[in-house]
Amino acid sequence: MTLKSILEYDKKSLERLKRFQLPNYSKKIGGLIALICFISMFVNAFYFDNEALRAISKFGILLGFLVVSISKEKIEDEFIIQLRMQSYTFAFIAAVLMAFIQPFINYAVDFAINGEQVFKENGDFVILWMLLFVQVFYFEMLKRTQG
Amino acid sequence: MKNRLKVERAILDITQEELAKKIGVSRQTINSIEKNRYVPSTVLALKLAKLFGKSVNDIFTLEDED
Repeated sequence: MTLKSILEYDKKSLERLKRFQLPNYSKKIGGLIALICFISMFVNAFYFDNEALRAISKFGILLGFLVVSISKEKIEDEFIIQLRMQSYTFAFIAAVLMAFIQPFINYAVDFAINGEQVFKENGDFVILWMLLFVQVFYFEMLKRTQG
Repeated sequence: MKNRLKVERAILDITQEELAKKIGVSRQTINSIEKNRYVPSTVLALKLAKLFGKSVNDIFTLEDED
């Protein structure tokens, strides 16, 4: 295998990866997974307090939003692609800003309510949830307002 | 950039939905172009021009701020 053919293979793989999207019907499946896991997380928090169920629910919400995020629209044209890119840009900036701001808000709320002075940083899951949640909802909002 | 998409569509007496189907985009895309919220790609502009039997310049016109 020559270097040129390796580079050519990498280029083709990258192109395939760039265009990778799930079919439109997976959007509903992703939404359903996220909803079920969201409900199970609440039920678990109030009734069972099971660590394994809590972890599964967290992963499930993330997976559900990811599936929704990478699912195609019924007609995936250039306008939709542009809106999708705008929503990813917005979500990325919003998630970074939230990662900066949220710990200070948490600190202020904890201090106001409990009088505790504990500085807690956001976990990976919270940041990823926020990123996907903002992307999915901002994309839907853009479709309704721009289209 | 201004465009005469709505006028050309009215001449052909077709709806946004019908036009969208003919060139393989969504109705929202046609609506956004008509309302000047979205500037189409060269490929889409050429497809529209071909469908209306006119040149791209007859449908899309640059404005001073462009």
